[in-house]
Amino acid sequence: MTFVEYKMLNPFQRFAYKFKKFFKAIPGAIGRFFKAIGRFFVKLFTGIGKGFKNYGTTFVKGDWATKLSYLIFGVGDLHKGKIYKGILYFLAEVLYILYIVFFGWQYISKFNSLGTVETHVEKVGLIPKTVPGDNSMLILLYSVLTIVITIVVFAIYISNIKDAYKHQVMRANGEKPTTLRQDVREFLDGKYHITLLSFPVLMICVFNILPLIFMILIAFTNYDKQHMPPGTLFTWVGMENFAALFDVVNTPKKATTFLELTGWTLIWAVLATFSNYILGMIVALMINKKGIKLKALWRTLFVIAIAVPQFVSLLLMNQMLQTNGALNVLLSDISRMFGGGPVEIQFLNSSTLMARTTVIIVNIWVGIPYTILSMSGILMNIPEDLYESARIDGASPVKTFTAITLPYMIFVTTPQLITQFVGNINNFNVIYLLTGGGPTTQDYYQAGRTDILVTWLFTLSMNSQDYGLAAAIGILVFIVCATLSLIIYNNSKSMKDEEAFS
Amino acid sequence: MKKILAILLAGMMTATAFAGCGGGGSSSQASESKSGDSSAASSDAGATDEMTKDANTVDPSLFGDENNITLKVWAPDKAVSLVKEQVEAFKKAYPDKTFTKIEVIAQGEGDAGTQLLNDASVAADVFSFASDQLNKLVDAKVISEVAFAKTVTDMNSPETITAGTLNGKLYAYPETNDNGYYLVYDKTVVPEDKTAKLEDILAACKAAGKKFIFNCGDGFYACTFAFTAGVKIDGLEEDGVTQKFTQYDEAEAVKTLQAFSKLMKEYKGTFTSLDVAQIASGFSTGTLGAGVDGSWNTTADQDALKDKFGAAKLPTINVDGTDKQMISMFGYKYIGVNASSKFPASAQILAYYLAGETCQEQRAEKLGWGPSNKAVQEKPVVKDSPVLQAIAQQAQNACPQVNIAPTFWSPMGNLGNKLIADETKADDAAYFTKLLKDTIANVRDEA
Amino acid sequence: MIKSYKLRRHIANAIIYVLLAILGLLWISPFVYLLMHSFRLESMTTVPYLIPHQWGFDNYIALFQNSGSSAINFPRWFLNTLVVAIFSCIISTISVLAVAYTFSRLRFGARKKLMNVAMILGMFPGFMTMIAIYYLLKAMGLNQNLIALVICYSSGAGMGFQISKGFFDTIPRALDEAATIDGATKNQIFWRIILPMSKPIVVYTVLTSFIGPWCDFILAKIIMGDARDLYTVAIGLQSMVSPEFINQYYKQFLAGSVLVAVPITTLFLIMQRYYVEGVTAGGVKG
Repeated sequence: MTFVEYKMLNPFQRFAYKFKKFFKAIPGAIGRFFKAIGRFFVKLFTGIGKGFKNYGTTFVKGDWATKLSYLIFGVGDLHKGKIYKGILYFLAEVLYILYIVFFGWQYISKFNSLGTVETHVEKVGLIPKTVPGDNSMLILLYSVLTIVITIVVFAIYISNIKDAYKHQVMRANGEKPTTLRQDVREFLDGKYHITLLSFPVLMICVFNILPLIFMILIAFTNYDKQHMPPGTLFTWVGMENFAALFDVVNTPKKATTFLELTGWTLIWAVLATFSNYILGMIVALMINKKGIKLKALWRTLFVIAIAVPQFVSLLLMNQMLQTNGALNVLLSDISRMFGGGPVEIQFLNSSTLMARTTVIIVNIWVGIPYTILSMSGILMNIPEDLYESARIDGASPVKTFTAITLPYMIFVTTPQLITQFVGNINNFNVIYLLTGGGPTTQDYYQAGRTDILVTWLFTLSMNSQDYGLAAAIGILVFIVCATLSLIIYNNSKSMKDEEAFS
Repeated sequence: MKKILAILLAGMMTATAFAGCGGGGSSSQASESKSGDSSAASSDAGATDEMTKDANTVDPSLFGDENNITLKVWAPDKAVSLVKEQVEAFKKAYPDKTFTKIEVIAQGEGDAGTQLLNDASVAADVFSFASDQLNKLVDAKVISEVAFAKTVTDMNSPETITAGTLNGKLYAYPETNDNGYYLVYDKTVVPEDKTAKLEDILAACKAAGKKFIFNCGDGFYACTFAFTAGVKIDGLEEDGVTQKFTQYDEAEAVKTLQAFSKLMKEYKGTFTSLDVAQIASGFSTGTLGAGVDGSWNTTADQDALKDKFGAAKLPTINVDGTDKQMISMFGYKYIGVNASSKFPASAQILAYYLAGETCQEQRAEKLGWGPSNKAVQEKPVVKDSPVLQAIAQQAQNACPQVNIAPTFWSPMGNLGNKLIADETKADDAAYFTKLLKDTIANVRDEA
Repeated sequence: MIKSYKLRRHIANAIIYVLLAILGLLWISPFVYLLMHSFRLESMTTVPYLIPHQWGFDNYIALFQNSGSSAINFPRWFLNTLVVAIFSCIISTISVLAVAYTFSRLRFGARKKLMNVAMILGMFPGFMTMIAIYYLLKAMGLNQNLIALVICYSSGAGMGFQISKGFFDTIPRALDEAATIDGATKNQIFWRIILPMSKPIVVYTVLTSFIGPWCDFILAKIIMGDARDLYTVAIGLQSMVSPEFINQYYKQFLAGSVLVAVPITTLFLIMQRYYVEGVTAGGVKG
């Protein structure tokens, strides 16, 4: 369809066209996504292959110092007069060896079995003394740490060799190695990204990626109430935990719970995201409308909702929504005014529909202030001349909104929308503090009617110690979220041409 | 007087120990019949004489080579200052030992287990905890078994020993015999002679326009419905995680559940399911006639009602013309010893002291805690307290909180929620049959 | 014609005023309720009426007097949280801005891949990893230590760069190019040109990262364990409504919540002015 044809359609047809286009694009996007993953692995392995080849040839061509760098880090650099770098390389090796000898080895050596020695009790006279055995959890965690450190040190090792060879070539060409001052300047300009990223990346690696790998590995173990460290050992069980979530024959209750909670989680995420987005935008538009006074006051009213810690405001909400809570008291007072009796609506723990509606409404109350804040800034940022020309063309307010405001907002906020959608899939606080998963039901395994997947996995790990199962759910949630957002994000307009509105 | 009693008791204990060795005797019957395994286990260890000097202290040689002792004690906030005094007394009781530091830190009994499971190496050496956590602690092997099991068994009430025993070993020193719930009421709303039947209580509350609170949504309280219906728990299966239930008459059980549900419907607006934290408030604002409250809230309830405060065991419910006593879940508080303690002997001896007779009596006097020690139970401080008497009576009509599977609580809470839910029809027997079966299946994790 | 247009606008505005008033009231009412009941003297937990009967400052005073309980120490918790919030806010803000600037302005090989990785990393249900984080901190000897909290709250900050990057993207590139021609390094461009123009986004980042420590009650609890003197207000307040304490401390909990809300609200109100000013200024420039 050409642009002219598109312009001739009526709004409904346009919508239908866009709708169709969107869904038609999904399979392609998914295909591209997996192709990209495939390409990534191909590149990775060819890269590794190339790396090995280089490793060999460098050794053959290297002088004695370069060759010695294969064993002792930094010798090449030291020999060529790049003293500080050589010392750093050497220190890295020493520290790594110390780490492995004094800490890493005792864990990584048991990684395969996750421990074999059970904790047991010995009696000394009357006094029972507990002799600690292997702690599977610590073995797993510190093994992951050791593996990550090893990978990093390996990268340092390779870079040490490359550097040694580079300086060898430079010396052969009669060049001098760069001084520390020159290097520092390079790190503030050409390699500035490394300087800026190194600290955040280090923090993320240690406190996000590493625990993440640990948690992912937990999903393949039988860490549950029967295998609790430090008393008892757990070990690898392969895909058993994932199987339990899909096996409708042997574990029907877990499978149905997983299926139904997934459904509700998606419904919840869509409703929660779009209700916040649309209503937040409407309120932001109202506040920022020309001629509306006291803008700061209106914003402030909503902003106060953010300023109270969420667990306090949600706990308060929970109490206000009880059968004897403030809302029912208020309704009773109103009902008495009209000659009615007391009102005792069970907002949270009786009917599924009522409870689900309540959580969504409360989530609007919690979430809109954030939307208003971010939207206000963006709304003011829309170039005024766009509106000017629309006014000259005699466009109606509605038309101006759909043709200018909305596209602009969507363009700017797509990343935010994805973040919010994913945030809602993982929205633990609202559900957990407000309903605790209730209303309860006998049809689910350790879950209630408003439980979403994350609150379920929290209950699983806290109440029934099903850590393995919980981790498996966590991984599945993660895969869905990650795939979804990667596809949308990389296909969104604001990502494709980053500089469009600048 | 106290001293004489202590000496007498100590004498009895020695006698018990010897009698146990001789293979019989009247005073060891309780322990023999209740937990034969545990006494067998301790005699296996070759310790017929546990070298306990009296109901509080042991032979100092048991410290072994431990000296310059550093210990950490967890006690609930309300008890911290008292426990600090008791720790000082403990130090004086062993004058030859040097104690570098014994600190007492406030840590709620409900949360102690979780903290210990998170990281036992930074947890207290000696800690108070509630009986529902015992299972997890034993499974994770973070709690040490009791060194003086035989003496402790003889000194404390049999149910606290049973609930503290797992796989034939006693794992914790009984501290109280009161961690349960009972009926609290406003004497001006519910007359004292009308507290025997649930129907009467509800009628009295309704007549006065006041509410009755029972937390149906929490498994700790809601299991009362199942227990009253005859569906009682009986420890765990062989696998150590699946809850075992006693034999029950299904028709009878369903009828009982229906009777509860019918009452809730009949007294809608009076019978409310709310958190027990609302009970003291309800009394103080005069909106509540009666409620089923936990023993830990007693002081708050008394403050709210002053001399109108009344306490009694749970009432009966009429099922098909017969009044059935409501059976509650009854828990205990224990003092446990951390298995990773650096001073295992000292920790055991301190736990023995803190769970001993003198300390229990002090806590009964100053904090109103119901003792588990049999000698203290007979003392006037317990005998003359209406609250402790009500709790003691309820203990007779209760399922002890022994070996509860972690999957027990939420299905039971669901059972309670369904009984009171608006959508539930009290005359639908098929629904209740299914509900009961589902609940049991969920508790047993037969999914 | 013009008159009717004006009239219509007036009516529209009037409707908007009414709507905003109603919505504002709805949004604010739970806090009015919170505020009123933090001054309530009678009863223990909730009461079956909306307006307290007896009013007084007792709950607030009690919070600051050591009531003889070693478990409740609100002033200390407040101070802890403030310190943690300030430090983690500084570190987070620097991290976020550094990452956002890198992805917005600098071009290098792994840029797009790193952006994708950073985006999806934050999607893993976080609390699953808490026990691992605890033991990592313990291996570093930082458990039961406020530094651990600063690390936890600021470590993931770098992944939340999207909004800041979006903002940097709108700053014209011509400025960078001109500076480069004048011989400025990337470092100088970042500190001397981009940052001074980014007040709104700096304010935004500061605000969001400052709030975090006041709200978390799960991870902080795991790290602090029984060290009640190192609690933050969130865990402290949470523990005040646990079954052990609720009857005694519920009203103090309400008062404490109000006290926590005050600094954050004030900060928001002050910063909001800059925020709006900054964004408007940015709009004119763009």
